Amino acid sequence: MCFHLFLSFILQSALVLCMDVGFSMSNSEPGQEPSFEQAKKVIQKFVQRQVFAENKDEVGLVLFGTDGTKNGLAEDGQYENITVHRRLMMPDFELLEEIESKLQPGGQQADWLDALVVCMDLLQEETMGKKFERLNIVLLTDLNVQTSADQLDVIIDSLKKARITLQFFLPFPVDGEDRADGGGDGPGPSAAPVRPGKGLSRQQTQGLEMVKNIMTSLEEEDGLEEVYTFSDALQKLSIFKRIDRRPMAWPCHLTIGSSLTIRIVGYKAVTEEKVKKSWAIVEAQSHQRDDVKRETVYCLDDDNETEVQKDDTIQGFRYGSDIVPFSKVDEDQMKYKSDGKCFSVLGFTKQELIRRHQFMGSQVVKVFAARDDEHAAVALSALIRALDSLKMAAIVRYAYDRRSNPQVGAAFPCIKEKYECLLYVQLPFMEDLRQFTFPVLENNKKFKPSESQLSAVDALIDSMMLVEKDEDGESVDVFKVNHIPNPQFQRLFQCLHHRGVNPDDPLPPVEPWLKRDLERPQAVSARCQTPLQDVKTKFPLKVVVKKKEQKTSADRGGFDNRCFVTLTACQQLTHRIEQLLGNRSPEYYMKSIACIQAFRDQSVSSGNAELFNSYMQSLKRSVPDRNLQELWDLLIQGKEQSVCYYEEVQAAPVQEDTGDVDDLVSVSCLFGCFNDKHIIYYICECNSDLQVY
Amino acid sequence: MAERREYYQNEDDEVEEDEEDSGGDYKISGRDSLVFLVDASKEMFIKGEDGEPSNFDMTMQCVRSVYTSKIISSDKDLVALVFYGTEQSKNPRNSFKHVYVYHDLDSPGSQCILDIDKLLGEKGAQFAEKTMGSGETSLGDALWCCSNLYSDIKLRLSHKRLMIFTCRDEHHGGDGAKDRQARTKAADLKETGVVIDLMHLTKPGGFDVSLFFCDIVSPPEDESELGLQIEPCRKLEDLQKRVRAKELKKRSQSRLTFSLGEGVNLAVGVYVLARTATKPSAVKLHRDTNEPVRTKTRYFHAHNGGILLPNDMKRAQVYGKKQIVMEKDEVDEIKKFDDPGLVLMGFKPMDRLKLHHHIRPALFIYPEEEQISGSSCMFTALLLNCSEKNLFALCRYIPRRNTPPRFVALVPQREELDQSQTQATPPGFHVIFLPFADDIRTVDAHVGPTASDEQVDKMKEIVHKLRFKYKSDAFENPVLQQHYRNLEALALNMLEPEPIEDLTMPKVQMMDARLGPLAQEFKDLVYPPDYNPEGKPAAKRKTAESGGGAAEKKAKVEMSEEELKNHVAKCTLGKLTVPVLKDACKQFGIRTTGTKKQELIDALTMHLSK
Repeated sequence: MCFHLFLSFILQSALVLCMDVGFSMSNSEPGQEPSFEQAKKVIQKFVQRQVFAENKDEVGLVLFGTDGTKNGLAEDGQYENITVHRRLMMPDFELLEEIESKLQPGGQQADWLDALVVCMDLLQEETMGKKFERLNIVLLTDLNVQTSADQLDVIIDSLKKARITLQFFLPFPVDGEDRADGGGDGPGPSAAPVRPGKGLSRQQTQGLEMVKNIMTSLEEEDGLEEVYTFSDALQKLSIFKRIDRRPMAWPCHLTIGSSLTIRIVGYKAVTEEKVKKSWAIVEAQSHQRDDVKRETVYCLDDDNETEVQKDDTIQGFRYGSDIVPFSKVDEDQMKYKSDGKCFSVLGFTKQELIRRHQFMGSQVVKVFAARDDEHAAVALSALIRALDSLKMAAIVRYAYDRRSNPQVGAAFPCIKEKYECLLYVQLPFMEDLRQFTFPVLENNKKFKPSESQLSAVDALIDSMMLVEKDEDGESVDVFKVNHIPNPQFQRLFQCLHHRGVNPDDPLPPVEPWLKRDLERPQAVSARCQTPLQDVKTKFPLKVVVKKKEQKTSADRGGFDNRCFVTLTACQQLTHRIEQLLGNRSPEYYMKSIACIQAFRDQSVSSGNAELFNSYMQSLKRSVPDRNLQELWDLLIQGKEQSVCYYEEVQAAPVQEDTGDVDDLVSVSCLFGCFNDKHIIYYICECNSDLQVY
Repeated sequence: MAERREYYQNEDDEVEEDEEDSGGDYKISGRDSLVFLVDASKEMFIKGEDGEPSNFDMTMQCVRSVYTSKIISSDKDLVALVFYGTEQSKNPRNSFKHVYVYHDLDSPGSQCILDIDKLLGEKGAQFAEKTMGSGETSLGDALWCCSNLYSDIKLRLSHKRLMIFTCRDEHHGGDGAKDRQARTKAADLKETGVVIDLMHLTKPGGFDVSLFFCDIVSPPEDESELGLQIEPCRKLEDLQKRVRAKELKKRSQSRLTFSLGEGVNLAVGVYVLARTATKPSAVKLHRDTNEPVRTKTRYFHAHNGGILLPNDMKRAQVYGKKQIVMEKDEVDEIKKFDDPGLVLMGFKPMDRLKLHHHIRPALFIYPEEEQISGSSCMFTALLLNCSEKNLFALCRYIPRRNTPPRFVALVPQREELDQSQTQATPPGFHVIFLPFADDIRTVDAHVGPTASDEQVDKMKEIVHKLRFKYKSDAFENPVLQQHYRNLEALALNMLEPEPIEDLTMPKVQMMDARLGPLAQEFKDLVYPPDYNPEGKPAAKRKTAESGGGAAEKKAKVEMSEEELKNHVAKCTLGKLTVPVLKDACKQFGIRTTGTKKQELIDALTMHLSK
């Protein structure tokens, strides 16, 4: 039983947050946030993310420097002032609330090595008999306490044995040297601006030595990369790096022709992370989901909107103007079948023939040789190196599995200091490409920039470079997008957290640091002021006052949303009118007239009469053909009740028709005043009867 | 599992939003229309030397390919096929002599393809002779007839184009009145927004555009464009290319301001030059009549049955036992950081744009002089400078209202021409989406031995033998092709669909032949004799990543109420798999509305915390 249960778990990580709340943590230099507050924020942000991203990892919280003592090892005055606040559990909202309200600075100091031992003990005890993919301890401390180093070797040994990894978060950087970015793959630590080593107490200097000692003995040369500053942690996602679930392995064979095969494994290395949880619909008063019932009905496109049972429907596809009935069963049987997963080379080509802007799909796959297969490693290495030296790439057919669509993509060689792999990216099919032709820019007399304009832009560019040279002449990227966490998540979690705690408050504003992350770096902003002014004077840029008819759908992106709403509404209205007119009987005429009126109101309220006028012109023209004289008479009858007609509508393009079209205003009295929203709503949602007014 | 996701794209809200951008155009701004006006005079039927197809035949092949591509890519567009210079006449009111409307302006269907097939090849020429014949020519009447086709259309047309296919540079044998009438009618058409193109074909002695047609066709889009191709089309590919370049109206996905800094704003249009073409979604039909069926979705109150208006509903998410409720507007507001637009952050050398920083297909931007005048000049200056210095511009990009920002690299693209001096790549900036920290997964690299120079050299020989010139339009999507062949077969009552050629399959035999002994030589260098790369990997493969996959499926778990309650208390239900949760629901007789994991968890939590 137990065995089965265990298998049904997804492999996960366990992590203990171990925070120093001792009194030295509350000290701060004037104008600086105390370490305690900074560390609390780090923890809060981490837990917030775990909770709202519904991470399955288990998290424990150990505090040291607390007034009280509560831990499994406390005995005979040992391990005092260390509190296990929460044993391993999936983080939940409760934990967030507790951190907010109950996590307070303590008045004592405790040895951080002792706290580390308590954490190890907690991890071992709680994970006994369960399988975890990764175990990690995160220590947040200012190291400002006397520690006894005599047990250090034993501790390091048992950490190694239990395969527990460590991360340190300190108020200051571990050393002054600029640690270069580790290959540009992951969100690595960046150089902290704080002065190194300066102003550290004797205990802190000593503690720092011990931290270095532990980290380097655990991970050799990379160990120090897992020591962060508090400010680092707030900006980046450093804590998550350790417990990140690794992407699923995709074992496959790389084939070249019929006889050359290499065993490979692919991993999704880059892909857009999306918000996973969707919003449920609840009733506004009760907040109950069950109070809202959603009903989907199928109906024919006739005037009665005859309902049809779902079972009486079949599926079809449009083939141009035809709709071809094509049942699911037939479709499945006739559809393209791929013969399972593959990574087959179709040929090799020059890398320069593959254009960066033609990369398709939403991911990059890293392809390695199968793990622990040195022959495959050598074979793949030969391919990678051959491609690299020839500046070529493999064009491959890639299919994830039997059910998925095959792709054509490129596998580029990638040689790093520590490893080699192929990078696979999907390429377009012929059907995906659109050949648009655009007017010439460069040799166009009208748009040709002058020499002085070009040099103004040149100066602007120079002032806005995001890559700078440091003292050693190395170029440093000051704005690494791949180190910035997606603000969408942070904002969502902030709002969820806030609303969870304060259900009746309005949403909080975007956090200032989050906004700052998205702005141009201050230094660059300052530098480009003068060149920007120069550009401003040299280039006359003038907003063109738009004529109304130029507004189209494309404008809704940036310029005008209102117009989009109107156009759709009008479209729906004309569609509806045409539908109603198909049925020549008085009751439908009244509905048609109501629609025409609504259409006119829409046109007037949006200040765009052309749509309405041109529709009315064409309707009038079609009266004889469609035998609509009766309707037309009805429309004209209301002339006596005519209300004031708007200028826009009067500006009808065809003069001789103005009289008749003018008459339409009359009907407005019959139906009173409409609210735009209602019209749209009823036409989209009910679509059955307009008499609801 | 992005692959599987592709199938279920509609489940993903964000994807749906994107789709709306492309498909939505039709609903909002009307439809595109295209009239093929084809000369059917005797000259068109003269065969080329060496049995090359006649101009008429070439035109029909080209028209057919446009029809099929319209069916696949833009089935709402309207197309018409009109012949002039015919003996017979056929047009709506039969008011024009020698004008034969073969297809009225409509969205093309399967029957249209069959009709065009009748006009192809040797038999096609005979069929044309029989049904239409060749007779007098009056381009004026033909254009007039076409203008009637446009005005008879009740739908709103957004883009109107007319293409004249002819191999005669002079139409009316010196009849000045007819020439004048043609010019007047052409002017009328252009007045109503129709763009007239000339697709002129080879004529012995050369086609002189200036004789007559220069007054008929629309002026070029911009003055520097040569508008009239001096050279007539000789080959089908040329003609197809020329038609295709004109046939698609470029639509910007949106128009945005591109801000360089305080008050320096230009306007750009955002275009999609490549987007994954997917199978269109199915339409529901009534079983008995094959009529299309619509769906209506309504929300109503479970207790009183009243219809719920948008204001009567809110949005909620549940975390553990905590429900968090927001208004719909608030949910949208959360995603708002700034107004839509591009904001310049700065510049970086091109080598800082990493190959593996790819999350979405790129977009393309081009200046919009009509929005902000001066944009094109500023844009060109940026383009030239960036390209000269080999830099890209880093920008913050917000495509729509209430959409969170993304950072993008604007990569300069100078115009590229192909051998026939037509534009192969337009000038502008490619918009490359950059990943955030969250989008980059931590991958534990496999480290193994590397290859020796000898092994690498052998592989170089293999690579050399199998090299080819990659072209992005060389591969058709076999899934889509098969789908449309199937539909075609059903629509045209064919016995079975035409077979497709799957270009994504490796040409194994050819590759083997080219490699000769190289493959074996390479294997001898890297693999020991007893090594079989195709065999099942060693049993010890069972590492952390692959752990428990197969066994998990079999594990049928009966869980005690105790255990489940424990999970509820610790909020660890989420760790159980969907099958286990389903079993648990069954076990307690809990009816669930959905099969989504969260719904199962919510149902169990509700049941067990009672």
